[in-house]
Amino acid sequence: MAKNRKNQAAAIRFGPALKASFLCLLIGGSAVGYVWQKNEIYRLGQQIRQRETKLAQLQGDNKRLSDQISILHSPVMLDRRTKELQLGLAPATPVQVVRLDEPVAPAPQNNMSRQFSQRSVNSVTP
Amino acid sequence: MSNKLQIRRALLLLAFLAAAFGGLAYRLVDLQVLRHDELSAKAELNTQREFRQAPRRGDILDANGNILATSISVRTICADPSLIGNFQPVVAHAIAPLLQMNEAELAQKLTPRLYRNAQGQIVTNGLHYVRLAKNISDETWNQLTAAMTNLTFGVDEKKLSRTERGFFSNLRRQAIFSEADQKRVYPNGALASQVIGFPATEEKKTDGHLYSQISGRDGVELSMQKPLSGVAGWKLTETDRAQHELVALRDEDVHARDGLNVVLTIDSAIQHIVETALAEAVPKYTPKSITGIVMRPKTGEILAMASLPNYDPNQPNTITPETRNRVITDVVEPGSTFKIVVVSGALNTGTVRLTDQFDCEHGHFAFAGRVLHDHEAYGLLSTVEIITKSSNIGAAKIGIKLGEQNLYDYAWNFGFGQRTGIPLPGEARGILYPVKQWSKVSIAQIPMGHGVAVTRLQMLSAMAAIANGGWLMRPMIVSRLQERDGSVVQRYAPERVRQVVSETAAKQMIEALKTVPMKGGTAPEAQLKNYVVAGKTGTAQKAENGQYVRGKYVSSFIGFFPADNPELCISIVMDEPKENGYYGGKVCGPIFRDIAERCASYLNIPPDPKLMTNSPPLVADNNGRRL
Repeated sequence: MAKNRKNQAAAIRFGPALKASFLCLLIGGSAVGYVWQKNEIYRLGQQIRQRETKLAQLQGDNKRLSDQISILHSPVMLDRRTKELQLGLAPATPVQVVRLDEPVAPAPQNNMSRQFSQRSVNSVTP
Repeated sequence: MSNKLQIRRALLLLAFLAAAFGGLAYRLVDLQVLRHDELSAKAELNTQREFRQAPRRGDILDANGNILATSISVRTICADPSLIGNFQPVVAHAIAPLLQMNEAELAQKLTPRLYRNAQGQIVTNGLHYVRLAKNISDETWNQLTAAMTNLTFGVDEKKLSRTERGFFSNLRRQAIFSEADQKRVYPNGALASQVIGFPATEEKKTDGHLYSQISGRDGVELSMQKPLSGVAGWKLTETDRAQHELVALRDEDVHARDGLNVVLTIDSAIQHIVETALAEAVPKYTPKSITGIVMRPKTGEILAMASLPNYDPNQPNTITPETRNRVITDVVEPGSTFKIVVVSGALNTGTVRLTDQFDCEHGHFAFAGRVLHDHEAYGLLSTVEIITKSSNIGAAKIGIKLGEQNLYDYAWNFGFGQRTGIPLPGEARGILYPVKQWSKVSIAQIPMGHGVAVTRLQMLSAMAAIANGGWLMRPMIVSRLQERDGSVVQRYAPERVRQVVSETAAKQMIEALKTVPMKGGTAPEAQLKNYVVAGKTGTAQKAENGQYVRGKYVSSFIGFFPADNPELCISIVMDEPKENGYYGGKVCGPIFRDIAERCASYLNIPPDPKLMTNSPPLVADNNGRRL
C-alpha cells in the first residue's frame, strides 16, 4: 500500500536539507577558495617581484664590491699606495731569494702567466 | 478574442526579443569574429608590457684576473611631461641640484613643446618621454625619488577633488622615472689603454624609448665586441593600473645573457712596469713617441704593450690620432735590428758560419752605383762581429751571399709583409716588396733594414722566433673567454706559425746576439747584472718625401733573457729622440735594462748562476738547509 505523504507525521527530513546545505557549502566554499587563491597568486606574485628586485640589487652590490676589492688589490693601485705611504718597499734582488730544492708543482690553470720559470710548452699546438 | 490578442502580443514580444537578441548576436559576432584581430591587439596593448633586459657587458681582465675594464650600473633619468601640468618650475627646482643641471634649462625640457621638424611636420619634444640625464648613480636616484615624494605645490590637497588629488599623486610617483643603464669604466685609467681600446654608446629607439648599447671602438673592446656584448633578454607581462607587474600573468621571461669576460695575456704589473719606464724616459730623450712590448717567446703571449703618448679611456677627450697603438699601426724602416733576418737565414742555409770573415771596406762600400756606409770604419769582421758592431757593409755582404730570393723568403717566413694575426684592430702589414720589384741595390740595403717597413710587433716576433729555437709564434693577446663565475668558455692556445730557421741556426744566432749588450757591442747599457742578455740595436734614419732626413731617427733595442733559456723578449722603440743621443743601444738599452730587471724580479726568473757576482743564489732543501 502506497504511503500517503500528507498523513505522515511532521517529521523533519534531514537528508535533502543536508544535501542542499552541502551543495551550498560546496559552491560557496569553491567561490571563496577561488577568490582566496587569486589573492594568494597576486600576493605571491608581488613577493616574487620584490624578491627579484632585491636579488638584482644584491647581485649588483656584490659585483660592485668584488670589483672594488679587485681594484684595490691591483698592482697599479698597490704601487700607487706604496708610494703614497712611503713605505720604502723595493723589489727583492735575486740574491735575497731563497729557492727551495723541490719538485715544481704544476702551475694552476688560472694563474699560468706568473709561473714563468715553471711552465712547459707541451701545450703548444703544432 | 482575448486568446488572439494574447498570441499577437506574445508574437510581438517574441519578435522584439528576437530582434534584440539578433542585434546582440550580431554585435557579438562583430566583436569576437569580425574585429577580433583589431580588438585583441588593442586589448593586449592596454594590458601587456614588454620589458627589455639589457645584457651586462663583459669585463676585460688581465692574466691574473685584475680588472682592466668593467661596467657599472647607472640610471638614465627620464620624465613624462604630460603628467607635470604647469608645475615644471617646481619640479625643476627640486631635482636640478641633484642632476647638477641648470634649473631653467631643466624646466624647459619638462615642458611639452610643438615645433616643426626638417620635413615640415609638427612634432613635440616628447609628450610622454623626455631624457633628462644619463649616468646617474643609484644613490642620486634614491635622493631624487625622495625629493619628488616630498614635493609641495602650495595648495591644500585635502580640499581638492579626487581627480585633482590623482593628478598630484601621479606627478609625484610617475612624472620622473629612471631606466637601468650601464657605464664602462677603466679603473686603472690609461694603463694598457691602447690594447683595451675604448667604447662608444649607441642609442636605438624601440617603442618610443631610447635604449643605449655600448660597443667597442678600438682595441679588445672592438675586436672582442661579440663575446663582450652578450644577448638581450625580454619579459612579456601584464601590469595593473598603477603599472605594477602582475607576475602571475607573465607570459614570456627570457633572461639576458651577460657578455663573457675576456681574459688577456697582459699582466697589469708588467704593463705598469713598462709604462712607468717609458714615461720616465720621455723627459730624458724627448721623443715624438715611444713604445715597449714584452712577449714570452715560447708561447707568443704579450705580457705588456705600451705606446706613449696614450689616453685615458675614461676621458674620451684625451683620445686623438696621436694616441694610437703605434706598436701595430705604424710601419717604419727597422734599421739594424733587421740584420737578424739575413744573418740567421745565412746561418740556416749554411751560406756563412759564425767565424767567416768579411771585409767591411773601412766604412765605404760602393755597390750598384751607391755607396754604403758604416758608422765606424771596420776592416775584417767575422759574422759574430758584424752583429756585435752592427756593420751595415758586413750585413750587406752576407745578404749578397745569401741571394735575393733566399733573403726575401726568410723575411717573409719571419712574418714581414703580412699581419701577425694578433686580435687587435688596425694592424698594418708592413712593406716587403717581391724580388721582381727590387732595385739592384735592394739586396745590399734590405739586410741593413732599409727598403723594408715593419711594425714593432713584427720585429719583436722575429726576434722571439730566434729566442724560441727558430719557431715563429703567433702573438697572443687574448688568453681565454670566461663566464662571470670564472668557468672557461674558450681557451686560446699558443700557436706555432712555422719554423723559420733550425734550432742550430737559432742557437748560433743567439751566440752572436749575446755579444751586442757586452763591452765592445752596440748596447752595453742593456746588460743585466744577473742574466745573460741577447739582443740587437737599431738606428734607422727617417725618410720624408723620399729622402732620408738628418737628425730624425727611429732608435730601437730588442732583446731577450736569460739568453740560453729565454723567458721574456722585450722591444723598446723610440721615434725621433731629440736629447741625450739617438743610437738604439744608447737610448733604448737603459730602458730595456730597467724593464728587464723589474720584470725578472716580479716574475722571479731564476738568475744565471755564472753571473751571480754578489753571492751565489741560496738554494735550500726541504728542511731549510743550504745546499
